[in-house]
Amino acid sequence: MAGPHEVLGMSRVLGIGTTEFLARYADNGGTTLRSEADGRCVFLTSSGCRVHPRRPLVCRLYPLGRSTNERGEERFALFPPQAECEAVAGRDGTIETFLGPQGVGPYFVWSRRYGELYRRMMGLLDRLDIEGKIDVPSADTPAEAAQAGSGSAGSGQEPDRAPLSSWQDVDASLAEYCAAKEIAMPTEIDDTIALHLRAMEEWLDDLESRLGEDQNDPKGAPES
Amino acid sequence: MGKQEDPKTVTRREVLKLAGTAAAFCTSFGFLHGGQTGGAVQGKHLGMNVNKELQLKWQRAEIKWYSGSEVLFSAPFPAKVLKHLQSDEMAAVEIKLFRTGQLLKNLGTIQAKH
Repeated sequence: MAGPHEVLGMSRVLGIGTTEFLARYADNGGTTLRSEADGRCVFLTSSGCRVHPRRPLVCRLYPLGRSTNERGEERFALFPPQAECEAVAGRDGTIETFLGPQGVGPYFVWSRRYGELYRRMMGLLDRLDIEGKIDVPSADTPAEAAQAGSGSAGSGQEPDRAPLSSWQDVDASLAEYCAAKEIAMPTEIDDTIALHLRAMEEWLDDLESRLGEDQNDPKGAPES
Repeated sequence: MGKQEDPKTVTRREVLKLAGTAAAFCTSFGFLHGGQTGGAVQGKHLGMNVNKELQLKWQRAEIKWYSGSEVLFSAPFPAKVLKHLQSDEMAAVEIKLFRTGQLLKNLGTIQAKH
């Protein structure tokens, strides 16, 4: 699994843009990293991980898995040992001491922020279905509609590898956003992620404003 | 944000982008929705629904056509239908064959609570 902010970070380590990263290294609609034929991660080499400084959260947590409930309470679980994994796992430490050096803090924050956006999206989709407020103008051809769901139009990617959404391609989506707003593209990763979140928030603000107020308003629900 | 005058609509392209983004985030982050267990999003969204207990029983319904053991077609029920089924009211499903708008045959009706 790799969120847009993680794709961004890994692409910078490799010195490429997110569009190229998704085309070369992503699978399953741009949501996971590709694997080699033997199941190894595409970034695993004999000398280690090629994107280790910006490895995704799931890699930082391994062999732990993490979930949070509606109150923001965390739960951790231990994955079963993998025979081919050369990592040495002990049982003397604590979760806290294990996570400390992994740099997970910002990733937890970003996951929560993107989770808030996801919740708003699901709320909108529920309302669209119930209220039937989908307009199908004559100019909205099937070809155009198909393109709307794909981020890197013209990238030549196979259908199952092309991103499900243009928002997954941070560089391309922010280039469009910054051009429309006439602002400069950020250069730092953290600034880029912050702007990506802001751009998505504005996109959802616009959709929500056109659909009117939601009586159940998921947007305003506190995180914890 | 002020309300616009009706009808407020979004285009099919926007809906596709919205659905695609939600699906991508669901997979990328492991966000869960509806009656699935675990996840940061699940409980918050359930909190908006009246039939919380029922939603926890199941969260997806599918209709499938088989030829022997081969699945010819499979599709999930739309959310609108799902909500009706989850309301625990009597629901009816009819299978009818049409040609140019004319009913050729009614293969049967299933009525049940869920």
